[in-house]
Amino acid sequence: MIEQIRAVLQQLGIAEYRIVESVQESVESFFVRKKLDLKRRTDLTDYSVVVFCPHEKNGRQMLGASAVNIHPGMETEEITETLQKAYQAAALVCNEYYELNAGEKEDFVASNSRFAGQSLEESIRQIVEALYASDTSEKVFINSAEVFAKRVVRRIVNSRGVDVSYETYLVSGEYVVQCIEPRDVETYHQFSYDDAEPDALRQDVAEAFTMTQARAEADRPPKAGEYTILLSGKNLQEILQYYCGRSSAGVIYQKYSNYQIGDHVQGNAVQGDVLTIYMKAKEPYSDEGIPMKDRTLMENGALKMFHGGLKYSYYIGIEPTGDYHSISVPVGSRTMEELKASPYLHIVSFSDFQMDILSGHFGGEIRLAFLYDGEKVTPVTGGSVNGSILEVQGNMTFSKERYRNDQYEGPYAVRMENVKVAGIE
Amino acid sequence: MKVQESLFIQKKKALLKRLLDMLLEQYPYASILAEDTKSRNYNVSRKNMSVGEGERGTFRGFVVKVSDGKHYAEYSFNQISEENLEDICAHIKELVESSDELMPDGVCESEYQVPMEKKAEFSGSTEYEIDPETLGDDAILDHLTAIKEKGLAVSEKILDCHAVSSYQKYTKLFLSGDRVMEQSVMWMTCFLYFVAAKGEEIKTYYKPYSNLGGAEVLSRMDADIEDCAKAVLELLESEPILPGEYDCICSPDVTGMIVHEAFGHGVEMDMFVKKRALAEQYVGKRVASDLVTMHDGASAANEVATYFFDDEGTMAHDTTVIEKGILKSGISDLQSALILQTEPTGNGRRESFRRKAYTRMTNTFFEGGTDSVEEMIASIQYGFLLENPQNGMEDPKNWGIQCMVNIAREIRDGKLTGKIFSPIVLTGYVPDLLKSISMMSENVRLSGSGMCGKGYKEWVKVSDGGPYIKAKIRLG
Repeated sequence: MIEQIRAVLQQLGIAEYRIVESVQESVESFFVRKKLDLKRRTDLTDYSVVVFCPHEKNGRQMLGASAVNIHPGMETEEITETLQKAYQAAALVCNEYYELNAGEKEDFVASNSRFAGQSLEESIRQIVEALYASDTSEKVFINSAEVFAKRVVRRIVNSRGVDVSYETYLVSGEYVVQCIEPRDVETYHQFSYDDAEPDALRQDVAEAFTMTQARAEADRPPKAGEYTILLSGKNLQEILQYYCGRSSAGVIYQKYSNYQIGDHVQGNAVQGDVLTIYMKAKEPYSDEGIPMKDRTLMENGALKMFHGGLKYSYYIGIEPTGDYHSISVPVGSRTMEELKASPYLHIVSFSDFQMDILSGHFGGEIRLAFLYDGEKVTPVTGGSVNGSILEVQGNMTFSKERYRNDQYEGPYAVRMENVKVAGIE
Repeated sequence: MKVQESLFIQKKKALLKRLLDMLLEQYPYASILAEDTKSRNYNVSRKNMSVGEGERGTFRGFVVKVSDGKHYAEYSFNQISEENLEDICAHIKELVESSDELMPDGVCESEYQVPMEKKAEFSGSTEYEIDPETLGDDAILDHLTAIKEKGLAVSEKILDCHAVSSYQKYTKLFLSGDRVMEQSVMWMTCFLYFVAAKGEEIKTYYKPYSNLGGAEVLSRMDADIEDCAKAVLELLESEPILPGEYDCICSPDVTGMIVHEAFGHGVEMDMFVKKRALAEQYVGKRVASDLVTMHDGASAANEVATYFFDDEGTMAHDTTVIEKGILKSGISDLQSALILQTEPTGNGRRESFRRKAYTRMTNTFFEGGTDSVEEMIASIQYGFLLENPQNGMEDPKNWGIQCMVNIAREIRDGKLTGKIFSPIVLTGYVPDLLKSISMMSENVRLSGSGMCGKGYKEWVKVSDGGPYIKAKIRLG
């Protein structure tokens, strides 16, 4: 199909293009309690084509682009019509010129995931086994779960010789844990592994059971006011997205961020821990065919780089890095025991925790938190957090304990001072 | 004008019928959903422009669902020809027989009845005034560019003005032993997105527009440019709110978010099957004030979630969910209805042929009341007018509310003071909020610019809305 698309592009005189072929097979299973409710399989092949049209506007060089999808089995006449329309659209798009990437045919990069050595069905079974390992009680149990095992082979070719291909495996899903006493409550959890780590899931599920039992005991929101809060796990991961978002080439180019390389982005008088953030390459190539490698985003609080794809990187004059979806952060200076030495509100579960990378505001409704008043720890539920990273980033203390998933490896928790919490009056 | 049927679907119909016949020889139930969906996205901002097809909005493929009499299995694929019909059947057979490979000890398979379908044939299309394809990319980009320039010209403090539009045109064909159903639908949406900066802090303001139809929606943005620019500039002067419970008036789009996130997700009956929804225990009981009547349905309104039949071949409904404060009914897909022994309500929806069908909302809204907005504001001694919803998250099990809004306008002694607070998190217990509704304006407004997820995935187009409502809400 790629050769058929190339032939049409040549016939239409479209000189600059990129084609991404994605061949995906997946096995999916859906559970209600301990019953397999539905099984699914997918076999899907997709072709995404971006055509580029260099042109001039008011004496300035422009490069327009337009993306279309070519479906398997499309007849040549329809492919021609689709690509011609895309090229006409690209001619209307007046973006400043940028350079496309050049390359050559590279060897296929096979996955070294342990999932590659077994069938998708075996991967599902292994994960489902881990998922239900803790489900031994009538009081707290897995209410429902969805598990997806997926193999994707991608090939990226462009008009400047790039021809790369690689394979990825991912087993992901979600589960809901229900506890029926003393109150009937549930907690929602997601997982995602690019390597077979059933023990990690087993441990996460066991913690989810403990958390859900605690939520069943929580019966009131905290009092409204300002708190020293602890955020952990995925919520901390979300907080750190602020620094990744603010340093992306697109955000810099559009002047939504005033970050400059070398800036101490947490401020110049940091009282807590200074951050170092590494961006981790989880796939060998970006969607544009840029070779990906691990990079240092921040070191001891100082911004070391901007990051992004071809267009915005060219505009701000940096090497294109590709888009990253995973970070790693060295652990912090205090143990959890030290972080919990004085009163705190540790929010372990939000209904949906959000970090706005433009405004710096973060917040969400509290599903479960542990309130330590200096004497005792009480589980609480309800109310909401509404904070600003701009106000707390100079005094954040991170845990020595670690947390890991396929998009994050770093401290388990952060302690922040004076964050507003809406609760009971 | 009526939306035309996809030529691709027309060409494949005979082949799909043959595949169905082959499947029905092996299984007591088989259905095929074929989809051909085209979309186009336009985005114009100060330094950027784009036009093209979205990955999520453009696809072409098929999903087969079969029952061996007890268990269901689905196979999604996007290549079909005379030559691979046998292969498709072989893949499905392998899948149907794969249960033991997927289940560890202690896990068994659910058992379902085969659905009893009534014979039905249907063919229908929605209407539009201006076909965006005929209007052309150049005219649409010109319109958006003019809006962007007008927006940027309002103030030097405005960092950016995005004028954005998308449309989707789809044909779906549903085939089963007793049904041949076909529909072609088009919706188009657009939004204005302003960005303004004050020091390191950035404020944004978003105003959506949508319709079941075509490019006629574009002109609705024109009159609002200056008001949106003014709103984002006001936000630069906003303050954080003092957390507490206040008398609030919600604008129709905030009402819509409450209807959808706080209550709607809780009456999706696949959640009843899993015992994940508190609403199941409240059918026939009071959950809201007398003023509240709530609907959901693909045929309940003409908006972006309007269709003639759902992805399981059930005709669209207008379901009265709450009537004068009493919870009357949930909404349901086919498989949930089989377990619960209820009638499916035409709410079985897939993100696309690639994904499973779940119970999903469509057009969800409160009916209007009899009050005027002026009377509602005048009735408040101290409180807020809430505008510009940002996002929300469901909690069907415990009826907790999480909704975020961008603007709370202060009301003191029955008048807006001009002071605004932002950002605002709404929390609380859903029935407390709904029972506290004491006034409702007459006019109902629906909007469907965004997508709705089930948890954090399975994105489908929905609309929601209602009138202005007055209620007691905990803000933070």
